[in-house]
Amino acid sequence: MRHHDIFGHSARLAPAALAALVLLGCARPGSPQAGAAAPPPPGVSYVDHLAAGGILPPGLVLRNPHAGDAGVAKGGALLFKSMNCDGCHGGDASGWVGPNLGDGRWRYGGADAEVFSSIYYGRPKGMPAFGGALGADGVWTLVTYLRTLPLPPDLPTESWEDK
Amino acid sequence: MLRTALVMAMVWLGAAAAGGAHAAAAAGREASDGQWTMPSKDYAATRYSELKDITPQNAHSLHPVWTFSTGVLGGHEGQPLVVGGTMYVVTPWPNVLYAFDLTREDYPLRWKYRPDISANAIGVACCDTVNRGAFYVDGRIVYNLLDGHTVAVDARTGRELWRVRIADLGSGETVTMAPIVVRDRVIVGASGGEFGIYGWLKGLDLNTGQVVWTAHNMGPDADMLIRPGTFKAPYDSGADLGAHSWAGDSWRTGGAPVWGSISYDPELDLLYYGTGNAAPYDPEQRLGDNKWSASVLARRPGDGTLVWAYQFTPHDNWDYDATGAMILADLTIAGHPVKALVHFDKNGFAYTLDRTNGRLLVAAAFAPVTWARAVDLQSGRPLLDAAKATGSSRGNVKGICPSAEGGVSPSSPPAYSPRTHLFYSSTNNLCMDYEAWRASHLAGTPFMGVNTPYSAGPGTGLGSFIAWDAASGRKVWENPERYPNWSGALATAGDVVFYGTLDGWFKSVDARSGKVLSKFKVGSGVVGNPITYRAPDGRQYVAVYAGIGGDWALLAGDTRSDDPTDVRAPADYIKDIARHTSQGGIIWIFGL
Repeated sequence: MRHHDIFGHSARLAPAALAALVLLGCARPGSPQAGAAAPPPPGVSYVDHLAAGGILPPGLVLRNPHAGDAGVAKGGALLFKSMNCDGCHGGDASGWVGPNLGDGRWRYGGADAEVFSSIYYGRPKGMPAFGGALGADGVWTLVTYLRTLPLPPDLPTESWEDK
Repeated sequence: MLRTALVMAMVWLGAAAAGGAHAAAAAGREASDGQWTMPSKDYAATRYSELKDITPQNAHSLHPVWTFSTGVLGGHEGQPLVVGGTMYVVTPWPNVLYAFDLTREDYPLRWKYRPDISANAIGVACCDTVNRGAFYVDGRIVYNLLDGHTVAVDARTGRELWRVRIADLGSGETVTMAPIVVRDRVIVGASGGEFGIYGWLKGLDLNTGQVVWTAHNMGPDADMLIRPGTFKAPYDSGADLGAHSWAGDSWRTGGAPVWGSISYDPELDLLYYGTGNAAPYDPEQRLGDNKWSASVLARRPGDGTLVWAYQFTPHDNWDYDATGAMILADLTIAGHPVKALVHFDKNGFAYTLDRTNGRLLVAAAFAPVTWARAVDLQSGRPLLDAAKATGSSRGNVKGICPSAEGGVSPSSPPAYSPRTHLFYSSTNNLCMDYEAWRASHLAGTPFMGVNTPYSAGPGTGLGSFIAWDAASGRKVWENPERYPNWSGALATAGDVVFYGTLDGWFKSVDARSGKVLSKFKVGSGVVGNPITYRAPDGRQYVAVYAGIGGDWALLAGDTRSDDPTDVRAPADYIKDIARHTSQGGIIWIFGL
C-alpha cells in the first residue's frame, strides 16, 4: 500500500525523480519484489530506459513538412535575418551570444522535431519562444534552412603544430 | 625614441612647474587609506592609489601570494573591493558575491552570497555575462545582477538587505555596470544597445532600493529630466534635442545604453557618464545626430536633472559607444588650470573637456582612425571622411578604423597619475568592414542588422598599452602587445603602473617609461582591472582577475572548452589566441 501512496504523488514529479523512486522501490532489501522486475504501478507507463536530457515521447514525433525543399530553405535564410536570429547566433548561424548552429552539434538535440521545439518553445539561457510570432510553418521554414548549413569537415581537434 | 624622450622631458618640466596646484587637485579623491572601496578607486575614476611600497626598483620581485578560482567561466571584468580586512569579489553571471577574510592566513571566506538570478539573462547579454563590480558604502555592498536587479548586501554578514528590479529583460535590458553611490542615491544604468532599448539612468534610494528618478538618454526633454533653465549644451540649443535629432520616433528604440563607469565631482555636484551606440546599426533607420547617444552627460545625482551633454560621435555609423570612463583631473592646459574630464573613446580619439560646461579643449587620436580626419575644437564636431559613412544603401564599407571593439574597449578603464600627469590606457589596433542592412525591431531580440569583420590595424601588434598627456593630446610612450589589450589600468604613487594582456600576462611597468618591471602568466586572459591595497599585515598588495571574455569575438577562437555543442572556427584576425589562453575565473594577489 505504501508503494501506491508514493506513486500516487509521483505523477507530478519529474521523470528523473520518478526513475529514482522506481529504483528505490525495486532495490529495497527484503522487499517482495527485490531482484525481480516490479509491475508498473497504476497510472504510470513503464519505460525500461530513461535518457538524460529529454527526448520527445513516442507518438509526439513531429515531421518537417518542408524537409529538403531548397526554395523553403532560401526563405528560411531570409527569415533568419529578419527575425534577428543572426543577432544572437551570428551571420550564417556560425555562433555569437547563442551557439553555432552549423557545427553539427546540438545542445537540445538535432532531430528536426527537437530543433523545432527549441525555436517554437524557446530554451533556458535566453532563447526566446518564437512559436507565437512565427507559427508552426515559420518555424519549419527556419528548420529547413538550418538543415542546409554546410557542416565543417572535422572540428574536435584544433592543432597549432606543423602549420 | 628621440621624439619620445623629448616629449617626456617636456612633461616633466610641466609637472615640476604645476606641482603645487596638482597636490590639492583631483576632485573627489578619498584620503589615502590603503583601501579600495569604489569600482574606480575614487569618485574621479582615477584608479590611482597613494600606496608606494612597490617601486620601479623592487617591482621585479613581485610574485603571487594567493589565488582563488571563482568557479565561473564568463569574462571577469571589473575588480575586487578591499574594505578594512575584507576583500569583496563579484563574479560574472550568476553574480556570486564572495567576502574573503584578509586578516587570517589563507584568506578564508567569511561568507558568500548567491543571488536568485535568471538564466535567461545569459542570452540577452550582448557581450558575455560580465559584471563590472560593486560599490561599498556605509556597511553595505551594492551591485547589479545581469538579469536586471540591483542588490544591497550587509558587508559584515552577507545578508541581503534589498533586491529591486531595475531593468526589463523582456525588452533586451541587462545590467553589467558597477553602480556609483552619492549620498543616499544609488546610480544605475542598463546595457542593451544591441537590442534597441530606450536607454536610461536611474537613481535609487540607498536604504530601500526604490527607484526615485529615471532619466532617459534621449527623447523629449521631459523624459530626459531637462528642467526649465537647467540644461545648457555647449554646442547645441533648442528644446527636445533628444527627440528632434532622430528621424520620426526612432529615439524610442535608439539604444544609448549605460554600461561603463560613472564618476562624480562633489564640488560641482555633477555625475558624469557615457552613453553607448545608437540602435540599430543601420544608421539610415535613424537619420539625424541621434542625441544623446555616444555622448557624455552631466547630471545632478539628487534628482537626475540634466545639466550639460556633449556628443562624441554624432549619428553613430560605427558602433562607437562612449561608455568608457570619464576621468576627472585638474590639469594645466596652455598655462591655465582647468577642471578637466578626460575620456578615451571607442572612436579612437581621446577627449579633454572642461567638466564645468562640457566644452571641448583637446581631441587627438590615440589609435589609428580613418572615419574622421580630426575633431574641430570650434564646433566640437568630428570632420568626417564621407567614404567611411555606412548604411543599408551603401553596401560593404571597407577599411574603417577603429573597429567596433573600439580604439579602446570601454570596459578597460584607464588610470591617471597626478605624479606623472599621465593617463594610462589599453588600446586595440583593429579595423573593420561594415555592411549594414535594415533591421526589424522585435522586443527582446537583437536590433542590429550588420556584419563587421575585423582585421589588423597598421603597425605592430593588435593592441598596446599607452601613456597619454591629455593636456597636449600626445602619446608619451607605448608598449605594443600581440593581442588587443582589454584590461584596465592601475597607477600608484610608487610610479609603478599595472595592466594585463589578453593572452594572460600580468605586468608591472615604469610609469615614466613603460619599461616592463615584472610579468607573470596568470592562467587566463586578463580583461579585469588591477587594484592595490594595504592588507592587515601592513603590506601593499596588488589584486587582479584572470578570466578571458567580455566579447564573443574573443571566444570565437575556441577559447572556451565547456560546451561540447558549440564549436567555432577561430576568428581570422586573432587565429591563435586559444593557443595561449582559455576561459576561467581566478583571483590573483601579488606582493613583494
